[in-house]
Amino acid sequence: MQLEDIDAVRHRIRRDPAAAMRTDVVVYASRRLLDQISKDASLQQAVNVSMLPGIVGPSLAMPDIHQGYGFPIGGVAATDWRTGVVSPGGVGFDINCGVRLVRTAIGVQDARPKMKALIDQVFRDVPCGTGGEGPIQLQARELEQVLESGAQWVVRQGFGFERDIEFTEARGALPEADPRKVSERAKERGRNQLGTIGSGNHFLEVQYVEQVHDAAAARAMGLEAGLVVVLVHCGSRGLGHQVCTDYLAQMGAAMKKFGIELPDRQLACVPIASEEGQSYLAAMRAAANFAWANRQAILHFLRGAFQRIFGEGARMDLVYDVCHNIAKREGHRWNGEKVDVLVHRKGATRAFPPGHRELPDAYRDCGQPVLIPGSMGTASWVLAGADGAMRETFGSVCHGAGRLMSRTAAKKGRNAREVQKKLEEQGILARSETRDGLLEEVPEAYKDVDEVIEVVHTAGLARKVARLRPLGVIKG
Amino acid sequence: MFEVLEHAADVGFRAWGTNVRELFASAAEALVALAMQPDAIEVRERFELAADGDSLESLLVNWLSEVLYYIDGRGLAPGRFDVMELAHGHVSAVAWGEPRDGKRHPARLVVKGITYHQLKIEQTPERWICEVFVDV
Repeated sequence: MQLEDIDAVRHRIRRDPAAAMRTDVVVYASRRLLDQISKDASLQQAVNVSMLPGIVGPSLAMPDIHQGYGFPIGGVAATDWRTGVVSPGGVGFDINCGVRLVRTAIGVQDARPKMKALIDQVFRDVPCGTGGEGPIQLQARELEQVLESGAQWVVRQGFGFERDIEFTEARGALPEADPRKVSERAKERGRNQLGTIGSGNHFLEVQYVEQVHDAAAARAMGLEAGLVVVLVHCGSRGLGHQVCTDYLAQMGAAMKKFGIELPDRQLACVPIASEEGQSYLAAMRAAANFAWANRQAILHFLRGAFQRIFGEGARMDLVYDVCHNIAKREGHRWNGEKVDVLVHRKGATRAFPPGHRELPDAYRDCGQPVLIPGSMGTASWVLAGADGAMRETFGSVCHGAGRLMSRTAAKKGRNAREVQKKLEEQGILARSETRDGLLEEVPEAYKDVDEVIEVVHTAGLARKVARLRPLGVIKG
Repeated sequence: MFEVLEHAADVGFRAWGTNVRELFASAAEALVALAMQPDAIEVRERFELAADGDSLESLLVNWLSEVLYYIDGRGLAPGRFDVMELAHGHVSAVAWGEPRDGKRHPARLVVKGITYHQLKIEQTPERWICEVFVDV
């Protein structure tokens, strides 16, 4: 595998037809990140993605890329809507895993004395649901409505405001979602899990704006230095996981039928135009809607917790909610021509630039807020989508710091109390529902989020708007 | 019998048994142990599980997906698996356990799904061994 430099942050693996590659791989990374990336199988996985039938443009790898299943995490692939394939592995088990940023009107100095009470309250009110049960039990008909209308259903129940919908990607509900394409098993796994965070790398962090890098964009997003914000990172829970499991199981046989051969079964795919492809997309959209409903329900519980600590007037406005595991039909330009493509974003965040018609009016001039959670206890970033993303990456950028160390390695030689104490010394309170939750997510297990951000900023895919620092962490 | 394996972002296990039926039972126990602390599970209720697959690999993945559904969708804490039948792309088994109780079986990881990533099933002269990675 020959990797050549295009410039300091762009690198290419040229198409090798002998290896069944249909296109190049383009990797966005600094030299140091590239060395880290080369240690696992993620570049080989990006090469495998370049073999997908109907791929348009290169197989793209973001600077936070790490080894996943089939697709690398941090991978982007656009496939032609008429002649290309859809791959559930290009979306992942956690359909519409995403990030929601909420701003308060509270300053960090006012929050600090109340942080312990606040974190305990949020930990009580916003459940992680690691044992499989959440605070909301949906009836069958209600679940169908969630799958059809996502966050909008939650707001209709009185759990939020119309304004929340305006600031959610796709207004919190993808059209053409079909609950009938979601299995009973998936519905059963999701029925009790609405309003829960889950575990793994999912979390809720109370943070403050440490530094503003783009004053105009920050103003448009209502962010200023010292302001307390909350970042929520989670997805479609068991419902989405089961949708992926169900369709992966069917696709092995379907691939044989369509004569598609790929080196990794986890990359299973079918033509978008096939019945199997359309069924998966209809089910995936329903699961995506469940995830937006989930993050909306979490926002409702979060508002309750803040009001209990800071009084009933405590106001919390959604800055934005954006997804980083999905396949969406979008219109782009490639090689000067209009293309109608399905953009697979597997651990990659949509980053639409200023002027894009899908953005709410407030963000027309500054571009879409791109929310990048860092590792626990370090920093997170707010970026704004830039024109480079439309030219080069089908409107996509990175999604996080990217894992460097296995969970087992992260746990070795550490204990939960020490990790918690170390975080407290830095002024960060941490609560975890499971014993290993904190250990497995120690900052050392991740790449340096600042370096990841520097790459996408330098490459012109997105602009830095603000750096956020944690005050309190809640984990599954 | 099983042990946990490392993966850059997720987690896996190696399980073994003297025959394929024991192998499948061990793999199911490994999955339970990733999801919760299994020591206090009481084996007092009986559940019937089954799965199909067009190869031994897909049968194993679909079998573990079935077990995961019982854990995550039906709220079961399974403590023991008796694989009754395993042939011709079909597995049927009885799981013994009780409803999940976060206090008695503290949650470990939320397992999202079973993958084909680096999936291995091998037969040695003494035993059957598998390696499975799960998404967490």
